[in-house]
Order: sequence, then structure tokens, then C-alpha cells
Amino acid sequence: MSDDETRAQLQRGLRIATLILAVLTVDVLGLIHLVQGLKSHDHPAAQFAAFAALTAVLATEAVLVVRRRPWRNGRRLAIAVVLGASALSYLTLPDGMTSTTVDWLFGAANWAGAVVLLDRPFRTFLAFLVTHELLALANLLVFHEVNRAALVRFTTGSVTVFGLPLLMAVVATVLGGIAAEAARAARELELARTAEAAASAAHRRRTQRFAELSGTAVPLLTGLADGVLEPSDPAVQRRCAIEAARMRRLFAETDLVGNPLLHELRHCAEIADRKGVEVELDARGQWPTPPVAVRRDLTNAALTALATAGSWARVTVVGSADAVSVSVVADCAEPAVPLPATPDVRIEVFDSGGTVWMEAQWQPS
Amino acid sequence: MAAELIRAVIVDDHAAIAAGVRYWCEQADPPIDLLDAGDRLAGVWTGRGADADVVIFDLELVPGKPDFGELRRLVDSGRRVVVYSQHADNATAIKCIDLGALAYLTKREGPEHLVPAVRAAAEGRGYTAPSLSGALAADDTPDRPRLSPRETEVLRAWFASSSKELVAAKLHITAKTVDTYIARVRVKYASVGRAASTKSELITRALDDGVITLAELNETAPLRR
Repeated sequence: MSDDETRAQLQRGLRIATLILAVLTVDVLGLIHLVQGLKSHDHPAAQFAAFAALTAVLATEAVLVVRRRPWRNGRRLAIAVVLGASALSYLTLPDGMTSTTVDWLFGAANWAGAVVLLDRPFRTFLAFLVTHELLALANLLVFHEVNRAALVRFTTGSVTVFGLPLLMAVVATVLGGIAAEAARAARELELARTAEAAASAAHRRRTQRFAELSGTAVPLLTGLADGVLEPSDPAVQRRCAIEAARMRRLFAETDLVGNPLLHELRHCAEIADRKGVEVELDARGQWPTPPVAVRRDLTNAALTALATAGSWARVTVVGSADAVSVSVVADCAEPAVPLPATPDVRIEVFDSGGTVWMEAQWQPS
Repeated sequence: MAAELIRAVIVDDHAAIAAGVRYWCEQADPPIDLLDAGDRLAGVWTGRGADADVVIFDLELVPGKPDFGELRRLVDSGRRVVVYSQHADNATAIKCIDLGALAYLTKREGPEHLVPAVRAAAEGRGYTAPSLSGALAADDTPDRPRLSPRETEVLRAWFASSSKELVAAKLHITAKTVDTYIARVRVKYASVGRAASTKSELITRALDDGVITLAELNETAPLRR
């Protein structure tokens, strides 16, 4: 599961839970209190208007939840509606009824605000709660008789009115943190797995490379180290040149280039170039990229010829959609003809006394 | 009969190239009289340059902008052109030939190809250097002329070895036959595409020399529009 998915799922659950709580508080508990205290109200129409306003906010949230959409531009309006409804309800309350069951909206308004501000930062929601609380307190202080009983009712009522939505907001914040933490952990785990896979692939590749070199390069190096092979011997020098070119080709094989065959040939040519052999490399046509094993067969002829060339070599590639051939013409003294390892590669050698012409052709069957 | 001295004019913005070509021409036997027009095309059209037998033309006097238009004007006015270019791609090479250049050489090809190319052009014959040979062998455009397998084989071998003796020895033919195959390919290319006086000269000569017959010419050359 991706980071965003985890977070979205947690948030959606919390959003639905908050909406259910809000509907229960506003439209069930609030309505019961409103209807029960209807006789006490001087302006029942104003109270029902406030009730309708809060219900409208909750209905909008329900639609948004179903359509999996967040609040956007409507958020400020919804908060204004909630605070406006609160003001309307408080101002039309009969005397001495603040924070009683007749004051049905006191416990309900914060939940309507909660559904709108659930995904906002914690301080935004706190600011809303405080605003509403101050609104109720101002109403009590300005328009009603301030006595001990009213203040006690207001204080005890505020514990649940203020506390419960606050608790919900805290839970939302904590859950958000947990979701982020879980996502980060998942990401780290994935990174670790990728790194491990890459490392094991690299190791496998190195083992493979070593195996490929061990048959030819290792005996040569051991021979040189033991003193069995003499570095001044031209045959040993030739073997060294071939192995060097082979290693260069091996390193070039893993490079990401547009035309691997030409890239590898260039590396082979560079070895000869360094020996002072004048190398011409020219390619014509376009061809599909042959697999590594085929490329090795194709470059082998060039590689041995280049490594053993005396003073010059011409390497050419001609390709088409269904065949590619690599030719090398060089002044090699003793051509060593490599045998192709893949069935679709044909190697031809033409020796005209001092000048050797090798052609390796690949025609995929 | 002493061969008449060939006069060539080179247009190239690189002084080193012009100097090198001059040296090759002087060392050639018999030497070729070379006029250096620098990077001014006017030098080809006026004065001594206008009388030169062969124009050695740098396709990219302005880097990145191959001047096919100027090549076309030169060919249309009957000049024998050897294109000497640093461009190595197939399309450019074939386009030059299609426009009527008698030879196309890349600047990696030295006096062993440039001198024979100038001599061939002076006689109205085409010269196919290995790089052009490779381009023709690898040509896969839909309106290319139909080549026989042997012709393609010779083109590829010439491109690969850069030595006609080696091609001849490898394919068990004579060096002259190698030349004939290459000439036939050039005639096939000359007979498709746009008409140019140098190209009709090439075809006439090939017919006269029996390199290709009229019947062969008709069957292997679908008309290009």
C-alpha cells in the first residue's frame, strides 16, 4: 500500500465517524431537546432556522464524504453558517435558559464545525472552538442574568461541549502522525529491499564476470606471477593484449548506450590504439541490438585481430534489419580464429599473406 | 600522348584541409593543379575557378548546414563535383550522389581515395570510395535501385577492406571486375532520381564501355519521382 493510500484510508474512517457523531448530536439529540423545550422558546422559527442551517452543513459534508471530496471554497461559508446559526439561537434564547437542555445548540454547534474543519490543522479547529465558546459566554454575560447557577451550568456544560470535539481533533492529529510514520516506514523498507536486490544482482554479475575471465585471464596472471610466463615473450604479450581487450569489452557490456555493439567495438579498438595501431572504425546501416552472447561472438574476431595487429586495422560494421556483420582487416602475423559460441554467427577468415580479413556475420534465424 | 594537366578547385573553410589536399595533389603523379578558393563559393564560379575541371566541395561551409542547394547549382551547370565532407551518415552520402556529385568522400578518407576521385571526376566517371560503398550497401530506402546480390557483396567487401586487391582475392575475381560491379551500381543509382548532366554522362560512358546494357538499365531502374 502506498503512503497516500494509508493516510487516505485512516482519514476517511475518522471523517465518517465524526460525521456520524455530529448527526447524532445535532439531528437526533439536538432535535429531541429542541422539540421537548419548544414551549419555552419565544422564537421557535429562529431556533428551527438555526437547526436547518446546521443540518444543511452536515448534509453537505455527507455528500462530500460519499463523493470522496474535501471541503474547498465552501469551508469558510460553512463555518460562518455554523457561527451565524449559533448567534441566532443564543440571541433568541429565553431568559435564564443558557446551557440547559432548552439551549439545544450549545452542545451541537461544535460538532457541525468539527466535520468541516477535521482535516485542517489542529490550531484552526481550536480557534473555532474558542470562538464558539466566547460567543456563548458573551451571550450569557451580556443578555442574561449572571448568577452562580448560570455560570456553573456554563462551566460544566463546556466540559463536554468543548472537550469532546477537542478530543476528536487530537485523535485526528495523532492518527495523521501515525499514518505519516507508517508510510515512511513502508518507504524505508522498500528502499532497503531495492538496495538489497541491486546489491545481489551486482554480486551475481561480478561472479559471472569473474567466471568469464577465470578461464583465460586468471591463468595468464598466475603464470606471470609465478614467473612461468615471460613478459618479454611476444606470445605472452599478445595474450595480455587480448585479455586486456576482453576485459574492456566486459566492462563496456553493462554500459547503457544506444548502440552496444559499436560501443564495445570502440572499447576493443582503444586497446589497439594505445598500442600504436592505427584503427579506422566505420559503421553503415541500422540493425537490431544483438544479445550479449551474439555481440561477444561478433566482437571476438575484431578483438583478437585488433589485439594482434601490427600497425593498422580497419573495423567496419554493416547492418540491416535482418543481419549484421563485423569485418576487421588488419596486418596480423598469426591470426587466431575464435569459434562462435552462438549458432547464428558465422565467422570467415581470409588470409592474404600478412593481411588478415575476418568477418563475423549474425543472421538471426 | 601526355595526359592533360587536371585542374581542380577546392572550396573548404578549413585552411588545413585545403593545404593538405594541395600537398596530396602536388605529390600525385601526374600532379593535379589545385586552386584554393577558401570558403568563398564565388571563387568556383569566377576567374580561374570557373575553368577548373573538378570542384572539390566541402558540403558544410556553414557548420550544421549541408549546402545541397549549392551542390545542385554546380551540378546543374555541368560542373564535375567531388564532395568532401565530414558528414558520415548514409542519407547525406546518397543524397549527394542523387544530386549528381561524381564522388562522395568523408574527410577520414585520404589521398588514396581523393586523388583517384579527382582523376575519375575529371574524365566524367564516378568514383566510389569505401564510405560511399558502405552507404550504398546499407541503403534501405524504399526507392533505391535494385542491386544484385553480387553487387551488394562487392560493395560491402570494398567498404570493409578498403582494398580492391583484397576484394578481388577474397571473391575470386579480378580487380577490374570489382570496378565493373561498383560502376554498375553507380549507373543504377544515376538512372533513378533527378536528371543531372554529370549523371547522364556517367550512364552514357557505362553503356559505351559495356558495363551495363540498355536492357539491364531498364529492368533495374524503377523511375523515382
